[in-house]
Amino acid sequence: MVPAAAEVDRWEGADVGVGEIERRLADLREAAEEGGMIRTSVLTHLAWVPPEWEQQALDTLAGMAERHPSRTIVLLPQPGADDDGIDATLALRTFPLAESGRSICTEVIELRLRRALCVAPASVVAPLLIADLPVFLRWRGLPPFGERAFEELVDLVHRLIVDSTEWPGLPRPYGQMAAIFHRTAASDIAWARTSRWRRQLASLWPEIAGVRKISVQGTEAQAHLLAGWLRSRLDRPVGLEHEPSDRLIGVEIDGEPAPFPPGDPPQPSDVLSEELDRFTRDPVFEAAVAATV
Amino acid sequence: MAVLEENPLLEGLELARMPEPCALVIFGASGDLTRRKLFPALYSLAYRQLLPPHFAVVGVARTEMSDEEFRERMEEAVREFGRDEFRQDVWDSLAAGMRYVATEFGSAEGAELLARCLTGLDEERGTRGNRVYYFAVPPDAFEALVRQVGKRRAAEGWTRLIVEKPFGHDLASARLLNEKLHDHFSEDEIFRIDHYLGKETVQNVLALRFANGIFEPIWNRQFIDHVQITVGESIGIERRADFYEQAGAIRDIFQNHLLQLLAVTAMEPPIDFTAESVRNEKVKVLKAMHTPGPKHLVRGQYARGFVDGVEVPAYRDEEGVASESMTETYVAAKLFVDNWRWADTPFYVRTGKRLPRRETTVAIQFQRAPHPPFAEIAGEGLRPNVLIVHIQPNEGVSLEIGAKVPGHGMKIRTVHMDFLYGGAFRTGLPEAYERLILDAMLGDATLFTRSDEIEEQWGLVDAIVAAWRRDRPVFPNYAAGAWGPKEANDLLARDGRAWRTH
Repeated sequence: MVPAAAEVDRWEGADVGVGEIERRLADLREAAEEGGMIRTSVLTHLAWVPPEWEQQALDTLAGMAERHPSRTIVLLPQPGADDDGIDATLALRTFPLAESGRSICTEVIELRLRRALCVAPASVVAPLLIADLPVFLRWRGLPPFGERAFEELVDLVHRLIVDSTEWPGLPRPYGQMAAIFHRTAASDIAWARTSRWRRQLASLWPEIAGVRKISVQGTEAQAHLLAGWLRSRLDRPVGLEHEPSDRLIGVEIDGEPAPFPPGDPPQPSDVLSEELDRFTRDPVFEAAVAATV
Repeated sequence: MAVLEENPLLEGLELARMPEPCALVIFGASGDLTRRKLFPALYSLAYRQLLPPHFAVVGVARTEMSDEEFRERMEEAVREFGRDEFRQDVWDSLAAGMRYVATEFGSAEGAELLARCLTGLDEERGTRGNRVYYFAVPPDAFEALVRQVGKRRAAEGWTRLIVEKPFGHDLASARLLNEKLHDHFSEDEIFRIDHYLGKETVQNVLALRFANGIFEPIWNRQFIDHVQITVGESIGIERRADFYEQAGAIRDIFQNHLLQLLAVTAMEPPIDFTAESVRNEKVKVLKAMHTPGPKHLVRGQYARGFVDGVEVPAYRDEEGVASESMTETYVAAKLFVDNWRWADTPFYVRTGKRLPRRETTVAIQFQRAPHPPFAEIAGEGLRPNVLIVHIQPNEGVSLEIGAKVPGHGMKIRTVHMDFLYGGAFRTGLPEAYERLILDAMLGDATLFTRSDEIEEQWGLVDAIVAAWRRDRPVFPNYAAGAWGPKEANDLLARDGRAWRTH
């Protein structure tokens, strides 16, 4: 059981420069270290959160730093703002360490990028990354493939994490997604959410080898990804029928319902947390995405 | 692996290492270990869905109890000692496969009862004749049980034995136990527990050494001045006088935990991480150790004193301890691993009861800088680098380095670079027993002690104890709450060194 986190220090500034953010961050950290806290990070966690995803994103992020002590940088683009500029909130959060009586602290940086600042975010972010640690980018909603803001950040990070459940117009965007696989390791939370079912379907081997059509009761993303996975793994065409549901609750193989997998579905922050433990490209996922279209 | 090649759907799926269906039989199920460690560990495994779906646990002990009473007692234990929240559905799934058999250990009708229970479980729970027997029993019950289990091997399925310490009390008895075991079982079916090896931080010594490029090149006599290993306990003997009077610190801790810590610290890189490779290298270390001479050994026994601000009695005043007891509660030794890597590099080890605090550490002290240009001004601030592996508590690694004190002039102070497990990985460390029970079910013996290791360990202990018989030290010789007797400090002082202060 993880003890509760506490916010120990906070600084807010409107219309600030990146240099000032760095300075304020250093101040906060110094204060924490004087208090005997240990700063520790295993990664920089970048999140791009358009306004419509704000609340949901902050909820998921809430438990994250605790499990993956990280510097979290939340980018909140405000393309419709009246002027250009950055508003920043820096917060230092601490988590007590069991037994030792010491605490570790991690930093959460929220940056509101107003109007023009949304266009080239890499230059804002780059100075704030922690040297030598992997950078993960969680992109909320459908990434604007080909647009500068997205392309810049993709080149900056080691891993892109999306959730194609948030994407309209499936399966077409999967094609665009497949095109960036050679540039950065990528993962899809919708894919991660099918893992219990993939394990279950794998246990149906060898009967499942001749499958012609599957019917998936779940999100559209899960349906496409499962079908893509079977097509790419079994190297044969597999038809897809989709029955909408907000989570994956059933898969039929040529009309035969597959047994329900054991255990509970994972929590949103568990899924993201697991994705943050991975560092390399996932060829099985990439092949499945490519085979969705 | 063959399965994976056949089934393309398994590729890339992170398959948790899932043991095959099996029944776990715990001999000594009414004991403390079962309550405090084994069931909380089983619950945590169930909580993480690491137990096979077809699984059963049979508790065997003398105490009369029904299945239902056994379940209730274990549920209480899990609620009290478990590290995860209590979830009824998880518990129910575990409890459904739980049975209890009351019998004298080794009796014929007990064996019959157990056999019937297990056959029933094979049918009911689908455990397929696979068995893990956990021997949490006193040594006198052990032999009869081994014979009984050996004779009644199920016709199908595999059998594995988990054997708790103490494994014998000297080389002869350990050999005899090994022989008895080998009469009925092959070595790869025997899993001798040293729960220290199940600790994440002990395994991390291996990760630290062999997953990093910077340590191994300097991990030798050329760069390391000496090594200190401390296994300190603040508790006394906790009403275990019967056992402890016979064992003493040398059999309780030195023979197993301390020597294992030394072995993982000093071993050569194994060619891979399989059970045989790792244990081959550890055994080589044990073989390379010479018996320390009497001057390199210190034993102690605690007198009355204060621990954690509370006055505690002397060892000889503990319940069940002889008033003239010569059992040692403290051992310190200067050991040498006589091989190319470590020749002439002392390993100072110590363990004791009623020390100021519970602490297990391995400290690697490097040679001092050969010719610091600022020696005079920096003066006392200059200390050699020490790499400390904290096994418990505060699991982690820290490196002591010299840094310049800000300001005019050139003053040096030692500072710590810390890696705390709890800081970098916020998942909560699994208990050693979770890992070990799971490994045994999977048939992975890497973290268990092999018969030749055990025998090497006892060989060393026997030689030490034989020398001790010749003289009678003046006991008690350290106050409870002190870091051992004065002679322990002299042991290092003679070499111009000192135990690490804490």
